[in-house]
Amino acid sequence: MSDTTQAFFERLATRDYEPLLHSVSGTIRCSIEDAGSWLVAVNNGSLIVNRDTAEADCMFTCSREDFERMVVGKQNPTTLFLQGKMQITGNISLAQMFQRLFPDESLSGEKQA
Amino acid sequence: MGEKTTMSVLEGNNFVVSDLHGDIDASPTEALGLFAWDTRFLSRWILTVDGQRPNVLSMDDLDYFSVQFFLVPGTGTIYVDADQSIIRKRTIGNGFSEELTILNHKDKPVDFNVRIEAAADFADLFEVKDHLTKKGELYHRIESNRLLLGYRRERFVRETLITSSIEADIDEHSLSFTVHIEPHSEWTTRLDVAIGLGGIGEHIEEAKYVRGGQRTRSQMKRSLEKLSEALPRLSCEWPSLQLTYSRSLVDLAALRFYPLTLAGQALPAAGLPWFMTIFGRDSMMVSYQALPFASEFAKASLTALAQRQGTRIDEFRDEEPGKIMHEARFGEMTAFEERPHSPYYGAADVTPFFLILLDEFERWTGNAALIQQLELEARAALRWIDTYGDRNGDGYVEYSRRNKETGLENQCWKDSWNSILFADGTLSRLPRATCEIQGYVYDAKMRCARLARTVWNDPELAERLQKQAAELKRRFNQDFWLEDREFFALAIDGDGRKVDSLTSNIGHLLWSGIVDDDKAEAIVRHLMGPKLYSGWGVRTMAEGEGGYNPIGYHVGTVWPHDNSFIAMGLRRYGYREEAAQVALHMLEAATYFKGRLPEAFAGYTRELTEFPVEYPTACSPQAWASGTPLLLLRAILGLEPIGNNLLVDPAIPSQLGQIELLDIPGRWGRVDAFGRGRVDTMAGKNSVF
Repeated sequence: MSDTTQAFFERLATRDYEPLLHSVSGTIRCSIEDAGSWLVAVNNGSLIVNRDTAEADCMFTCSREDFERMVVGKQNPTTLFLQGKMQITGNISLAQMFQRLFPDESLSGEKQA
Repeated sequence: MGEKTTMSVLEGNNFVVSDLHGDIDASPTEALGLFAWDTRFLSRWILTVDGQRPNVLSMDDLDYFSVQFFLVPGTGTIYVDADQSIIRKRTIGNGFSEELTILNHKDKPVDFNVRIEAAADFADLFEVKDHLTKKGELYHRIESNRLLLGYRRERFVRETLITSSIEADIDEHSLSFTVHIEPHSEWTTRLDVAIGLGGIGEHIEEAKYVRGGQRTRSQMKRSLEKLSEALPRLSCEWPSLQLTYSRSLVDLAALRFYPLTLAGQALPAAGLPWFMTIFGRDSMMVSYQALPFASEFAKASLTALAQRQGTRIDEFRDEEPGKIMHEARFGEMTAFEERPHSPYYGAADVTPFFLILLDEFERWTGNAALIQQLELEARAALRWIDTYGDRNGDGYVEYSRRNKETGLENQCWKDSWNSILFADGTLSRLPRATCEIQGYVYDAKMRCARLARTVWNDPELAERLQKQAAELKRRFNQDFWLEDREFFALAIDGDGRKVDSLTSNIGHLLWSGIVDDDKAEAIVRHLMGPKLYSGWGVRTMAEGEGGYNPIGYHVGTVWPHDNSFIAMGLRRYGYREEAAQVALHMLEAATYFKGRLPEAFAGYTRELTEFPVEYPTACSPQAWASGTPLLLLRAILGLEPIGNNLLVDPAIPSQLGQIELLDIPGRWGRVDAFGRGRVDTMAGKNSVF
């Protein structure tokens, strides 16, 4: 479980193109408490993931536990936000699109139907 | 039609419903309060002067976002000439602002104790509806001239901040003022009620506690003016139509909902008070109705719904990859997953409707950029139709909820549990393939074939879709047709049986174009016959069916929006007189509601009641009822985009006289449409106008 956050971003970095984000362009900072911060730059679905500290168009912050629960499909991103456990600043539509990437099936250990 | 007992002001995501004094005294059964984001931020707001509630002289709703209450100090029982007047002027916008003024008409000074009692229960709208109790804790804070009321459950925080512009004596339940007014003078204070959503997004935090006053009001005025300037102007000989048209536009402006993800673009919410949120079905149907008038609604709806398109299997939310959502909510019960609306995907008709609206938007606007932007979402929606939508692989889209506890049993527009009944009144079994959904799928595939050819540059997809649509039409006309009764079954149910009630759904089939030409006449005969047609419109279910009830929600009432789509269907198959009749009767019905059609009215025959009887618990204004006159205008003017031109082919009831719709926006720029009422409808003999 402890490597889930790291594994999620590593997998994202190898993906290069994500069709679910085909019409999305912008930068998203994912700030995971006790795990660090990742910058995801999306350009019409093409992805670059790194640990840059540059300013992003959208930033979301949540606890590592909650993030990993989203990655494995045990926590819905929208309700985490509505409960006040995920803060989003900047362009909220980027966060709305980014949540399409949860869960990561290869990390969730559960096959989708 | 009972006396009005409440007064509402609203603006997009928040609204205030009070009694005629301007007071809020919420009870379990009355949706009174200040509501925003599906939460009640004020449940009590009561003005007393020297311990008594003032008497009402009159009210004036200046616009949909402001209202004035004219009161006089209470005398206990009967009204006597008052020496003072009280004016409460309320404007909504991120909470509301209330200017409270007392005028002293006497030539002696007066002293009063003025008190505003305030409380907030922070009820989720679902709790208001279902009478549930809170799970978190309430708190309050008193600061200089400010009373903060709050609610906390874990990190879910909602707050109401009440600020007085002048010094007040504040305790946790009220703000009090010791008032002294000189002869012929006045006293005034402004009370700002701001709402806060702790933890949700920086820009709400920023907007938190922004004052509601003049600045907000002028912004809203500008936004309304901006919308009005862009709308086509209607000029008509029948004055009631002008009133109805204006009412529709103002109500649709009021029902604009601003999703956080759209940066200032608004889509139509479904209705006040319960449905001020994004709905897949309602938002898109209204957007369709409004396309010839304000295409930005369709753009916003398509964009917001594409953003929320399903990407995973989620049993609780009935979510599936490619599926378009049904309803989004933002309150506590949704946040804590006690309700599935985050968002909820329990609708089987909205995914094909998304594709229909996408194509119709392009036909009107020529905006290919949006069609390109949403190409993958459109393809995902097409995939959903053929995979998850067709659960049993029979070539039809059928539904059965995954969420058995809080999901919707019926996932078509007639979404009450008992709407899909056999002619003997018995309930059909799940999964159900209702007929109009198959019509939508046919239309969606035909339209996407056009988009594939003209925008997506994929002739192979175009050909495949066209073939699939043709095959669907052929099979549908066999499988759903009831030989003995000569209409299409309402549905095919889980046992493969044809659900044989006669319903308004067959009108949607005309609108979709799935009906074989040789069957259209029979369908029209049923729609306009006395069993389905009440004299005001087509009933949801025909008189004489086992489940028929003229005041049953989806089994006998007349729904204006339903009729607007039926009128378009009649036009599509060349039934000009019948379309004109449906339009005329619905527009006549609107005159009984001061131009504001209700969500539904009773299915009683026109001769019996002489006026349309409003369905008791319906929302008002209801967006797709407000959109109805717009689509009816399109139907009687015969407005159809043909390439870069707008075809105008009027079939106007003679009773309506001349109609001119000027500056219709579209890919042609702006054009005018004119028509003279020359169609003598059957209506003449029972029309009262």
